[in-house]
Order: sequence, then structure tokens, then C-alpha cells
Amino acid sequence: MNYLLNISPIVASMLVVLLPFLAFLMQALLGKKFTSGIFSLVAIVLSTILSGLFVFAEVWNATPLQADYSWFTIGEKTFCFGILLNNLTVLMQFIVCIIALPVHIYSKSYMKGDAGIHRYWMYLSLFCFAMLGLTISKNLLMMYIFWELVGFASYLLIGFWFTKESAVQANKKAFLINRIGDLGFLIGLAILFSTFGTLDLVEILGKDGLLFQEVIDHNSGLITGAGICFFLGAMAKSAQFPLHLWLPDAMEGPTSVSSLIHAATMVAAGVFLLSSIFPLFNCTVLLIIAIIGTITAITAAIFALGQYDIKKILAFSTISQLGYMMVAVSIGAWDAGMFHLATHAFFKCLLFLSAGAVIHEMAHLKAHTHQDFDPQDLRNMGGLRQYMPKTFLLMSLASLALAGFPLTSGFLSKDAIVISAFEWALQQGDLYLVVPIILVLVSILTAFYIGRLIFKAFFGTLRVNADHAHLHDAPKTMLIPMAFLGICSLFIIFSWNPFSYANAAILNVLVVNYTFPEIHFLHTIVPVTLTASALLSWWIGYNWYVKGKYPLNASSSWIHLAQNQFGMNEWMMKTFVSPTVKLGKISFWFDKYIVDGLVNGASYLIKQLSGLITWIDKYIVDGIVNAVAYLAYELGNALRFVQNGRLQNYLGFTLTMVLIGIIYLILK
Amino acid sequence: MITLTHFLVVSACIFCIGLYTVIAKRNAIMILIGIELMINAAILNFVAFSKYDKINYGGQVFALFAIVLAAASVAVGLAIILNVYRHYKTINPDNITDLRD
Amino acid sequence: MNLEVFLFYAFAVLAIGSALLVVSLKNTARALFLFFITLFSMAGLFLFALADFVAITQIMVYVGGVLILMIFAFMLSNKELLADLQNISGSFISLPNWQSLLLALGFFAVILLGLKEWNNDMPDWMLSNIKSGDIISPNDNNIHQLGIKFMTQYVLPFEVISIFLLMALIGAAHLSRKEDTQ
Repeated sequence: MNYLLNISPIVASMLVVLLPFLAFLMQALLGKKFTSGIFSLVAIVLSTILSGLFVFAEVWNATPLQADYSWFTIGEKTFCFGILLNNLTVLMQFIVCIIALPVHIYSKSYMKGDAGIHRYWMYLSLFCFAMLGLTISKNLLMMYIFWELVGFASYLLIGFWFTKESAVQANKKAFLINRIGDLGFLIGLAILFSTFGTLDLVEILGKDGLLFQEVIDHNSGLITGAGICFFLGAMAKSAQFPLHLWLPDAMEGPTSVSSLIHAATMVAAGVFLLSSIFPLFNCTVLLIIAIIGTITAITAAIFALGQYDIKKILAFSTISQLGYMMVAVSIGAWDAGMFHLATHAFFKCLLFLSAGAVIHEMAHLKAHTHQDFDPQDLRNMGGLRQYMPKTFLLMSLASLALAGFPLTSGFLSKDAIVISAFEWALQQGDLYLVVPIILVLVSILTAFYIGRLIFKAFFGTLRVNADHAHLHDAPKTMLIPMAFLGICSLFIIFSWNPFSYANAAILNVLVVNYTFPEIHFLHTIVPVTLTASALLSWWIGYNWYVKGKYPLNASSSWIHLAQNQFGMNEWMMKTFVSPTVKLGKISFWFDKYIVDGLVNGASYLIKQLSGLITWIDKYIVDGIVNAVAYLAYELGNALRFVQNGRLQNYLGFTLTMVLIGIIYLILK
Repeated sequence: MITLTHFLVVSACIFCIGLYTVIAKRNAIMILIGIELMINAAILNFVAFSKYDKINYGGQVFALFAIVLAAASVAVGLAIILNVYRHYKTINPDNITDLRD
Repeated sequence: MNLEVFLFYAFAVLAIGSALLVVSLKNTARALFLFFITLFSMAGLFLFALADFVAITQIMVYVGGVLILMIFAFMLSNKELLADLQNISGSFISLPNWQSLLLALGFFAVILLGLKEWNNDMPDWMLSNIKSGDIISPNDNNIHQLGIKFMTQYVLPFEVISIFLLMALIGAAHLSRKEDTQ
């Protein structure tokens, strides 16, 4: 027992990664008949326990560990698959586990009765394997492989209900857009490999890594290019503007999947990647990240205002919050980014799960009353507070966290980012102040749109006909994970002081040297402002949506614009998709008539040539062989008459031979 | 003056005629005659050379032997021919082709 | 040209000519009788080689034995005899078989070539005998000499031949007897 308890963190972390993979294999082997998903559940429970007790507890705030196992060799370069366990990676791994566990439990009842449930468990385990592997990869190539696997699992899960046309379109879109990012990642890898000759994170970015040994100027174009490429990868995965288009559509997948993959973990992988390779970025890249992050945050928040689909609001909210994290990374406070990632993971996951519970009930209602309405549409909801009080409570808690209300975890992490951004901007100069001001604006918008969601869904009266008996709270297997996440959304998990992020454990452990000085009065004024503005926006929202004093026309062009994401999808369609399709057609024509023509021509030529060779073979080569055989036959036949049984002939031949022999002797 | 060469040339002529007879004739008795001609040619040679060998008389002695052997062979040959005739009702060797493949 | 040479040529021509006729005649009966002429002229030629005893033997054995035997055999194969006797309408002389003729002429040419080559150097024993005069002269008593040689020098071949003759006699008699079984 003692021995069992003493497994090293390295082995434990490997087990954490491999257990879901094992579950995936088992599920894949057992196939359709096995619907309980027990393997996936057991695997993730074990992974969580291992990750918590043997990895996180051992490594957190202690010496980083690493291990290398030789993988393959190209030329003189040996690639290792290595495991890197430092504060950042174990934190990320633990977050993934701790989010994945409740989602698995929740899924157990949420996905009950689905025809493709065996596939669901399979994909979910595959995703967990890839995501957990991604977090502890030491080698960037390995990370890239897991990165792709994560994207693949996400693709499978978005298209889980593949009989739905929109789901197929959505997963295609997600896959294609992610391809752009993956290409960036790959180019980044290539640049790093050609520059440093290795892809090992520690060797490049470690304390005395190659990056700091003046192998190459840190501000050179090559490093800038590599940084931009990696950021491109992160952009696609973390749905940054303008590559965010896939994430709202990805909501076609099951809600539990959306909560795990498209809210809490996978989309945060971009932020995690940037944090991992943070030293690589120079000022230029950081500025680009800041700009993109800011634009993402504000646009997504505006888009969220106009949405009616409950999941799409949350999706845009996710994009907006990811923008926050990007800004945090770009100003050098990536610890704050990771902090927000951690807190966001919990409350956004909770939001999604709650939304899932709501959708679940609405779908049941739809099925029972035989009405035709969209169960995800906010306009059909209302007054759900009476029917699902626990869900309402938990969702409100998560919304408060999202809006950055005091006593919640969101308050701490959001403040950390906004305050850091202010401090950074003040140090950099006036123009940079745009960034924090927009962040504040986004924060207000966030409070407003999440308030709108809560008010519309839970207050007022239900807008569709309801037989009261059919609406009730979610079952326990769904509520317990939600409650767990609700607790995790409170400040106490992250810091004992509810009003100051300075005591947050994550920030204290992930020590980052800020380039800007701390300005004390901001630490008071920003939280107060944010809270006040959030309260104000809620008051407005309450008046608008609950009391029915809505000032704007529902068909106003502004709302339309926001709903349609400023027409970005259409614009993308026009600018990129149509030309691509056209290019595809041209390529097809080229392929069909020119390339195929060449190939066919060549094949025709070869056919003719082979015909010629056949002729030669048949008539010349075979002819020679046949001629030899024919000659032998004829010779034998000709000599056959010699053996005719006539003594005189025998004698004649004998004498002829004698005569010839004598003549030969004479002539010789 | 009759030289050795005269005899030899005559002997050659007789020998070749005998040879021709053996190969060409379609009658077993004629073949036997051909053989006798050839033996006679040989005997003529023996006799011709014997003229120069007074000490041993080898040529003449062996010419006599040869005549005796030829007679014996003719006797046996004719006996065979008669048997063949009894068996095949012909003495044309062309019609006796039991050695054929 | 003296008489001796003339007679030699006459005998030679007679021997060769009759031999050719023997070969050429279609009628086996006629050929057999012509063969007498050949054998007789051959015996004459032996005389010119100073071998009187051999010539006598030739006439006795061949003409007296062999030929009679042959005629007997020819007559015993009566079917051939009938065919030959009836065959008077066709040509008298058969055309030569050209392959056989070629072969015979080839041998003849080779022998003549050999003779021509040989004339230039005689064997040693002939030269020494010619030198010492040990050649047979027409006056020698050949029969006497041969009798002595048979009983002294060549007694072993003589006995072997005797046994051989006996064997041939028995064999021929055995071969030509009628099969009892039939």
C-alpha cells in the first residue's frame, strides 16, 4: 500500500493521460452494446484522483519535474517524448480533470437514451486523453499531435448528431477554421526547429534555454514570425477574432460537450499554449495579441447582446472571456490569464450545464406537449424560476461570477486582468489606455447580456403553453456536478480574501515579473467601478426585460447587426468561401482536363508501347523460341527415317560415315 | 611388266563393285554375292603382296584361309536366307524391317 | 606389249566387266551365272600373282561349292525365281541406285588416292625382300612350300580354321533343317 502511494508524479501524470485512452479503446472495442459509459467514468475518476493527489499536490509550488523518453531520430536530432511537470502544466491538467469529472457525471443522465451514446463516451474519452496529454507535453511536436487530436475529438463531438445538416456544416466549419490555426502552429514549429534544432520546451525556453543564449536576436523577424504563427494556432483554437466563427456554430454538439470542450478546456488550450511559450514573444507579437484580444472581447460581447439562442449567448461570452485572457497574456500577466482561465472554466462550465438542464426541460416539454418550438430559444422561455429553483440559483451564481460580482471567483480574476491592463497602459502611454477602457466596457456588456439571459429565462412567465407537471428541476446526477461547480465558482476556492486578488493562490505560485509598476489606487477603484456598472446594467436589464419597459424596437437594425455578428459570416462567405469554391472548381477543371489529360495521354502512350512490345514478344521473341523448337522437331523428324529397320541403309550410313572420316583424315 | 599397282587397282574396282552390290541390291542372295566380290578383292590383294614374301608365304596362306572362311560364311548365310524366306516369304531385305523403330 | 600383259588386262577387264554386269542385271538367275565368269577371271588374276594353288582352290571352292550352294538357295526361294523368270518384259539392266553409286565411287577414289600415296614409299619388308631376291618366281614349287608352311609355321590357324569349318557346317545344317514343331 505504501508503495502504491509512492508513485512518482511522472508516472502518475502518464497514468492520468493513459487511463482515458484505455477507456476509449475499451469503449471502441465493446461498441454499440455498451452504453453505460462506465469505463469513461471510472477512467476520469481515477485520472482526477491521481492528478489531484499524486501530481498536483506533489508538484504544485515545488520543484518542476521532467522526464524524457527517446522517441525517434531524424538525422542527428533525437526527438523525445517528454513530460514536463511544472506549476503551469499541473494546474492545467488538474483543471481539465476537475472539469471533465462533473461533465462526465452530468452526461450520464443528460445523454441517457441517445442512440449514439456509445460513440459519445468513446469520443469524450478520446478528448480527455488528448487534452490531458496536451497539458503535460514537454516536446512541442508532441503537443502539436495532441493539439490535433483535441481538434479531431472536438470535430467528432460537434458533429455528434451527424444526421442534422447544421451539425455537419458546423463541424466542417470548425475543422476548416482550426486547420488555419494548425497550419500556423506547424509553421511555428518549423521555424523553431530550424532556428534552435530542437522542439523541447525546456531546452528552448528554460532558465538557460537556447532563447536566452543569444542564438538569435529576440526581436528578429524570424522570432516575430514564429510568435505570430503560434498565436495564429492559438487564435483558431481559442476562437479569437476573426477566426472565432466556428465556436458559435460548434454549439450544435451536445450541451455537455459544449461545456467541457467549447467553454472550459479545449478553447482555453490556446491561452495555455501562449502561456507555455510566453518567453518567445517579443513586443511586436504581444501588441498584436493585445489588439486581437481586445477586438475579440468587445465584438463577441456585442454579438452576445443580440442572440436569442441560449447556447450561442454563452458561446459568445466564452469568446469574449477568451479575449480577456489573451489580453492578459499580451500584457505579460499570463498568470492572471491562467487565473481567469481557471475561474472561467468553472463558472462557464456551470453556465453551460445549467443551460443544458434548461434546454433538457424545454425539450421534454416540447416532446410532451407536441408543440413545435426551438427549445434553445430564449424567447420561448420565461418564469422558469418557479419550476427549476435550484437550477436558477446555480445559474445565477455562475452569472454573477461571469459578471465579476464580489465574493465570486470571477471578480478576482477579472479584476486581476483589468487592473493589470490599466497599470500596463499607464506605463506604456496614452493610446494604450484604449485597451483597459474597452475591457471595462466589455465587462459592463457582459453583465448586461448575462443579466438579459437570466431575466428572460427565469423571470416573467413562460411564453409557451406548459402543463405544469412536466417542468421540474434536473435529476440529481445532473444537479450534483452543477452544485460542485457552483461551489468552485466562489472566491474561497482561489483566495481567502474575497476582495483582493493579491492573495490568490494561483497568482502567488505562478510567479511572473510584471514589467509595469503596481498602482495602488486602481486596486480599489476598478473593482468598485466594475461592480457598480454591473449593478447598473442589471437594473436596466431588469427594467427592460422583467418589467417590460423595453425601449428599443425588436426589429431595430442594431439588434439585427449584433444578431448576425455584423454580417461576418456572410462577409466571410463572400470573401473566402466563394472564391475558394471557385478556385476549387477551377482546380477541378484543371485536374480533370489537364492533369487527367496528361495522365490519360501518358497511359495511352504506355498502352500503345506495351502493345508494340507485346507484338515484338509474340512474334519475334516467341518466334525465335518456336523456330528453335520447330528446327529441333524437323531435324528429329528428318532423321527419323534413318531408323527404318533396313539393314542396307544402316550399312550405307555406316560406310558414309567411314568415308567422311577418311576424307577428313586425308584433308587434315 | 605387271606391277603390284595393277593388281591393287583391279582389286579396288572389284571391291567397290561389291560394295555397291551390298548396299544397292534388293535381293539377299545378291548381297551375298556382293560380299563374295569384296572378299575376292581382298584375296587378290593378299595374293599380290604375297609375291614379295617368299620366306613366309603369308599372303597365300591367308588367302586360302579367307577362301575357306568365305565358303563357310556363304553356307551359313544361305542357311539364314532360307530361314528368312521361310519366315517372311521374301528375300528382299527392304521388306524385312523388324529392326525399325 | 607382250602376251603376259595382254592376258592380264584381258582377265582384269573380264573380271571387272562381268562384276559390273552381275550388279546391273535385273535377273538374279542370270547374275548368278555371270558370277561364275567373275570368279574364274579372278582365279586367272591369281595366277598372274604367281599363286597357282590359291587359283585352283578358288575355282574348286567357289565354283564347285559356293556357287552351287547359291543356285540351290535361289531355287529354294521359288517365289523369287518365278518372279524373276516371268520378269522379261522390263528393262534388261537396272538403273544404278545413285546414293550407293556415289558411296562406291567415293570409296574407289579414296582407295586410288591411297594407292597413289603408297607407291611413293614401299614398306621396309618389301624393299628388303626385293633387295635380297626373296620373291616368288614362276619356277617355284608353291604347293610344296605351302604344305610345309601349313604344317609348321601356320599350324595353329590351320587347326582353328578346321574347327571353324566344322562349326559352320553343323550350324548351317542346323539352321536349314525343317522345324519339326510345325
